[in-house]
Amino acid sequence: MLKLALALARKDLSLALRGAGLVQSILLGLLLVFMFSLSQKTGSLASGQMAAAIFWLSSLFCQTLVFNMLFAFEETQGARTCLLLSPAPVTDIFLGKALAGFVLIFLAQILFFPAIIVFLGQTVSQSWPMGLLMLFLADTGLACLGALLGALSQGQTARESLLSLLVFPLLAPLLLAAISVFAAVFGEQAGEDPTSWIGFSAAFDAIFLAIALMLFRFVYTGED
Amino acid sequence: MTEPWVLYAGIAVWAGLGGYLVFLAINQQRLARKISQLEQLKLEDNED
Amino acid sequence: MSLKQILPALLALAGGLLLAAGWWLIFMYAPTEAIMGAIQKIFYIHLPLSWWALFSFFLVFLCSVAYLVRPGEHLDRIARSCAEIGVLLTTLTLVTGMLWGRKAWGVWWTWDPRLTTALIMWFIYTAYLLLGGLNLSEQRRRMVRAVVGIVAFADVPLVFLSARLWRSIHPAVFANESGGLEPEMKLVALFSVLAMGFFWLGLVLVRCQQLKSQDRIEDLLSTEQNREEQTEQL
Repeated sequence: MLKLALALARKDLSLALRGAGLVQSILLGLLLVFMFSLSQKTGSLASGQMAAAIFWLSSLFCQTLVFNMLFAFEETQGARTCLLLSPAPVTDIFLGKALAGFVLIFLAQILFFPAIIVFLGQTVSQSWPMGLLMLFLADTGLACLGALLGALSQGQTARESLLSLLVFPLLAPLLLAAISVFAAVFGEQAGEDPTSWIGFSAAFDAIFLAIALMLFRFVYTGED
Repeated sequence: MTEPWVLYAGIAVWAGLGGYLVFLAINQQRLARKISQLEQLKLEDNED
Repeated sequence: MSLKQILPALLALAGGLLLAAGWWLIFMYAPTEAIMGAIQKIFYIHLPLSWWALFSFFLVFLCSVAYLVRPGEHLDRIARSCAEIGVLLTTLTLVTGMLWGRKAWGVWWTWDPRLTTALIMWFIYTAYLLLGGLNLSEQRRRMVRAVVGIVAFADVPLVFLSARLWRSIHPAVFANESGGLEPEMKLVALFSVLAMGFFWLGLVLVRCQQLKSQDRIEDLLSTEQNREEQTEQL
């Protein structure tokens, strides 16, 4: 049943890893980390909260670029109709795109994380398993909304800016959760229980996964 | 009424709502222009 | 002119008059708050604005769902007008709230759950309005708007929840600012909400009508142009 989803994800991944697309988004994220380190006085260390915020902002920009790239593959080749004609449910296309996006964001984050530790002078505390769980949940949410809204602007040249205008505020609650938990991972004294944030993120993912699965077939159509 | 902040709030609200009305009026005028354009087309057709 | 045609304008007019009457009530009838003083009077403007803004967005959501179930141009038009007016009212809510907060809390802004939610809502629905400028076919644009209308409203409670978790320790005054109102105050607040409701309904209906005639005129113009091109070719 999920054959098409997996095949599509594999195709997108091999295309993304071959081209310069992923490198571009990783570079932008690393640049962001560097730029934010300019906001500090010499010798002072960034707070855990700030480092967490920078990490997730980099991930957010990376997500926007990644999903623009993923949907541009079909657009530039004019292959969207072919994909829609394949005898598989449209939700498989959504799952494939989301899966590919998830993997790409995760790959980028593997590079962002050490960059944050090195450039912003952070240490990882005991609560890293919690952070790993949060990473998984937050990336799922990023991939869900990215795959749904990335498809919105098909056949549209101004898609980058509009996509980010929509995605950033929609993802605000999830980012708040991710930043809070990561602040705790970077050794910041947590004001509230991180487990409640984990539960909240799981609920966010569930709601938007359900909505995206329901609505994707309206968004991804043969029309231009 | 010795509270200037209330006054500012009132000004802001009326300005906002009034601004929207102005926007509606401008839109209406644009529509009227388009209608006259249509009428022009109709007239030209009749002359042919 | 039939009643149906002038009803929206009449409603808006009635709403405007009621709003003016409401202002008179606010300053002449409502007692002055003992602790906060005259600044509390902003509350009577602020509350109806925020309620009707939220209601507008709820209506956008309902129309979007209805559009996906059974597409109809009028549903899209209602959603569009509601979103427009909702953004306007949210802007005014934020402005009046900031003015109140400057005096009552001493700061323009605090990251209270309600404030955060209102601000993020404003961002989301402003982006929703920008969808109208997309260079897409009319049908596809409507579909995109409906989808975003649903996603946006699903996000609102989540934003509120997260903001509450984020700033879990905030003074209780923020939470029950409407608690402990005197009967006269309640009456004035209710009157303001009703007056704003009339005005809101009038605005929405006027805007819907305008959008409808706009669509019709643009249709006519494009068919006319097509016809002309065809005759030229012949």
